[in-house]
Amino acid sequence: MSTPKTVTVRVTHRFIASPERVFDAWLDPAKASKFLFTTPTGQMVKVEIDPQVGGHFAIVDRRDGEDVAHTGEYLEIDRPRRLVFTFGVPKYSSLMTTVTIDIVPLESGCELTLTHEGVPPEYEQPNISGWTRILEGLAANL
Amino acid sequence: MPTPANLDRTLLALADPTRRSILHSLTKGEARVTDLAEPIKMSLNAVSKHIRVLERARLVRRRRAGREHLLSLNPEPMEAAARWMAQQRAYWTARLAALDALLTAEDQAENVPHKKGDTR
Repeated sequence: MSTPKTVTVRVTHRFIASPERVFDAWLDPAKASKFLFTTPTGQMVKVEIDPQVGGHFAIVDRRDGEDVAHTGEYLEIDRPRRLVFTFGVPKYSSLMTTVTIDIVPLESGCELTLTHEGVPPEYEQPNISGWTRILEGLAANL
Repeated sequence: MPTPANLDRTLLALADPTRRSILHSLTKGEARVTDLAEPIKMSLNAVSKHIRVLERARLVRRRRAGREHLLSLNPEPMEAAARWMAQQRAYWTARLAALDALLTAEDQAENVPHKKGDTR
């Protein structure tokens, strides 16, 4: 079997805050509990972050009385430019995916690009059917 | 983040170019295993293995017509995976907006002039 080829979810956001402040928020339990792996209606139950390469994190959110754990391991920590960690929701899937945060300083603030790899493989061939169009649309958008 | 429990099987089934090629052939309609083996120049045995993976992922259906087994495409798991990906993107967009709001609130508390960033 060949190496799985995965499509990537990519989101970019410009911040007024400095690269350091944006970077640090990802590894600061108090801040992470307010934005990372949370839902508006969820309630943060536990945030454990071991911010070193090879260190793990566990963020548990309670949604409708149900605890959902997000877990992963830090693969790369290069403050304030790059952060790479694996990430999974063991309750829903055994699949571990990889999230890469790249931060580029701007004249004022910074630009963050989040890349989430390990989602469905892209489909490159031209085609006519509906579901392949869906895939192409995704590949073009992500 | 809602993740369908059977997403793994869909993703693993789709993670192989031969299987994607088989699915592509099936977008043209029902086919026999021999029809599918021919364009990809693979043994029937090898193709059958790929088809079994696709069947387990419910991406391919099999029906009998006399002595023949006819295979067809079932797009539903694919569409579920596509919906999941759209959710992922919406999820991360919302998370980054939440981070921006958090940092902006800190600035406000310190009376630092600011304006909000934007997601593209």
